[in-house]
Amino acid sequence: MEHHGELKHDPIISMRNVCKTYISEHKTNEVVRDVSLDVAENEFVVLFGPGQCGKTTMINLIAGLQLPTSGEVVVDGKKVTAPGPDRGVVYQTTALFPFCTVMGNVEFGPKSRGIDKKTRRERAEYFIKLVGLEGFEKSFPNQLSGGMRQRVGIARAYANDPKVMLMDEPFGHLDAQTRYMMEAELEKIWQKEKRTVVFVTNNSEEAVYLADRIIILTNTPTHIKEEIKVDLPRPRQYSDPAFLEIRRKIEEICDDTL
Amino acid sequence: MKRKFDLEKTVYAVAAIAFFFLLWWFLTTFTPVKETTPGPIEVLQLLVSSFYTPIGNKVIIGHLLVSLRRVLVGFSVATIIGIVLGIAMGTSRWAEAIFKPIFELLRPIPPIAWISLVILFFGIGETSKYILCGIGAFTNVTLNAYTGAQNVDPELIGCARMLGTSERDIFFRVILPSCTPQIFAGMQVALSTSWMAVLAAEMVGAQEGCGWMIQRGSDTLNITLVMVGMIVIGLVGMLLATLMRTIERRLCSWNIMEN
Amino acid sequence: MNEYAIQKRKEKIKFGIVSVISLCVFFGVWYLCTAVLHLKPDYVLPSPVQVVEAFFEKLTQTAPDGATLGGHILASLQVALTGYLLGAVIGIPLGIAMAWFRKVDMFVTPLFDLIRPVPTIAWIPLMILWFGIGLGAKAAIIFVSAFVPCVINAYAGIKQTKPVHLWVAQTFGASRREMLFTVAIPTALPLIFTGLRISLGTAWMTLCAAEMLASNRGLGYMIQLNRTLARADLIVVAMLTIGVIGTVFTVGLDALEKKFVKGGRRG
Repeated sequence: MEHHGELKHDPIISMRNVCKTYISEHKTNEVVRDVSLDVAENEFVVLFGPGQCGKTTMINLIAGLQLPTSGEVVVDGKKVTAPGPDRGVVYQTTALFPFCTVMGNVEFGPKSRGIDKKTRRERAEYFIKLVGLEGFEKSFPNQLSGGMRQRVGIARAYANDPKVMLMDEPFGHLDAQTRYMMEAELEKIWQKEKRTVVFVTNNSEEAVYLADRIIILTNTPTHIKEEIKVDLPRPRQYSDPAFLEIRRKIEEICDDTL
Repeated sequence: MKRKFDLEKTVYAVAAIAFFFLLWWFLTTFTPVKETTPGPIEVLQLLVSSFYTPIGNKVIIGHLLVSLRRVLVGFSVATIIGIVLGIAMGTSRWAEAIFKPIFELLRPIPPIAWISLVILFFGIGETSKYILCGIGAFTNVTLNAYTGAQNVDPELIGCARMLGTSERDIFFRVILPSCTPQIFAGMQVALSTSWMAVLAAEMVGAQEGCGWMIQRGSDTLNITLVMVGMIVIGLVGMLLATLMRTIERRLCSWNIMEN
Repeated sequence: MNEYAIQKRKEKIKFGIVSVISLCVFFGVWYLCTAVLHLKPDYVLPSPVQVVEAFFEKLTQTAPDGATLGGHILASLQVALTGYLLGAVIGIPLGIAMAWFRKVDMFVTPLFDLIRPVPTIAWIPLMILWFGIGLGAKAAIIFVSAFVPCVINAYAGIKQTKPVHLWVAQTFGASRREMLFTVAIPTALPLIFTGLRISLGTAWMTLCAAEMLASNRGLGYMIQLNRTLARADLIVVAMLTIGVIGTVFTVGLDALEKKFVKGGRRG
């Protein structure tokens, strides 16, 4: 089995020969086939793949919301068997608690883990400020725009202080302009609060803009087609020739995937 | 939501209500309808005097309070039981398998159809009125809590797990708040059904209360009294509905879509 | 069939059995409390066996309440259907008119709001004094109970028509009349059916009350009279009959809705 990625330290996420097959009443559906992947601490990895490939399944496998049919996922030295606060997820649908205010959402995790009110308030305030939502602490999600909701989702994941951030096409539902803004914003936040990030997208521009390393996935059953290191200085310029060159390369690789 | 004052609308509304009362007055003054039906003035006079002249053993406010107490006792107890049972059925397959068949068996029987059995069982006193109001409220609350709990977004539960929330906290901080709007919708219907049930129970057998009052009007061929009763009952029903809506708006403001 | 399917089926069977056991326990406890332990006298709480016996007896006997079960059912259905259909036939067009024509809306809505808060049961004494205790009074009461939800839902249904759809129709050169029939009413149809379903429930409930207070036939009367005769078994028979007929109506209405409402129902 070939290994992808050269690593400076021990990997914080390590998927070993992971397979996932869904079994429903009428058919079996192989979604992930033999994926091995290591992610280093504070690395920004983008999983890039066509529409219906098993990207979300990959995220769910690392999150522990689904368990692999065979193989194993290890995060920070522990085998993943269930969801846990060491991994934070940002969902495409945001999955904000509609009945909690922005503040309630962001401090939901710390409160669950029994952190005292003063500390968690401060943490929440810090991250709300970091994502630029100061003044909206008392708003409910239904009063916010799509971009603002995603910011809350990011702040909520951060406030729980996870080792690993998993982002499942967080900007997929946003309009192009908001999307550019959020990408820049996310990069800024990440520079300030470094975390290991696994980010899923089907947009090559977004991938190149954000990633240290792009993992290109095939259609289902998903496996790793290729990976590309992105060494451009940050913040990156969308129109930089080197940037465009990487995008072209990605698209080339994907073309013969299909 | 604040609506702008609409002059045309107000004029029409005033005209419509004036028309209604004039027609009523006209019919009961100049046509044979007056043989059977009192005019608006008579009804108004009785309404006013009923505040200090007792009907039966109480003035009108007394009857109202009696009915309201019956409704509130039955409604509150039934609501609590209904929420617990409904959420249990919506979250646990065991509870669903055990209680749903019995619930489905009894649900189609309208609350009012229970009157006779309840009276035979508990006598004609207060207990049977509480129980009838309770039956009136129970079905709707249970049903709504049940579907509400069933329809909690699984992504939210997954998300809470990701954040390290314990199962107990998931219940109290995710499932319960998620189904509040639906439970409230059920409670609103339940309160008006309870209000209907108490009237029916009082009409069938009681010595006081709003239902008794209109039934007494009917027995003594006193249409004026019946109409006064109807007005008061309608007003209280409206008040209860408004009260519930206000509480709902407070508690579930997150669920009200901004237009 | 794979393993998962087999396991799923097993679960289904398991919980099905739990449900059956639960129902058996329900009837068992009922039987135990009545026929075996006699916790309450028979005239207060009959045993399930007595109820079944009473049911078969009542199919042919008119004693003690003056009609066979079939007779009572027919009497109730006659009242209920007369009132209900009248309520729907008048209520739905009125609701549509109120929502479609601004002037009708402004004039009729205040009047309607004046009447709406009075629970239908409170209309019973008035209707009896006006119409006596025959079919007329009861049908009038059921009418009120069906009328109100029909109007409210037809009104809300038309009001939810999206302006975009009306604009589309307009660009096709539809007249206002055509827009009402081809756009607004089809949009409102699901809610109109909701209204029909709600009013069916209230009508059926109101019927019980009406027959208890003013009748000499019908299922509600059966419930009321047998209380004074202390025949709890017949009361339970009547209650169950009311429940079953109510269910049949609901199922029928659902089928009708499925047939008429195309493109799915919201909510």
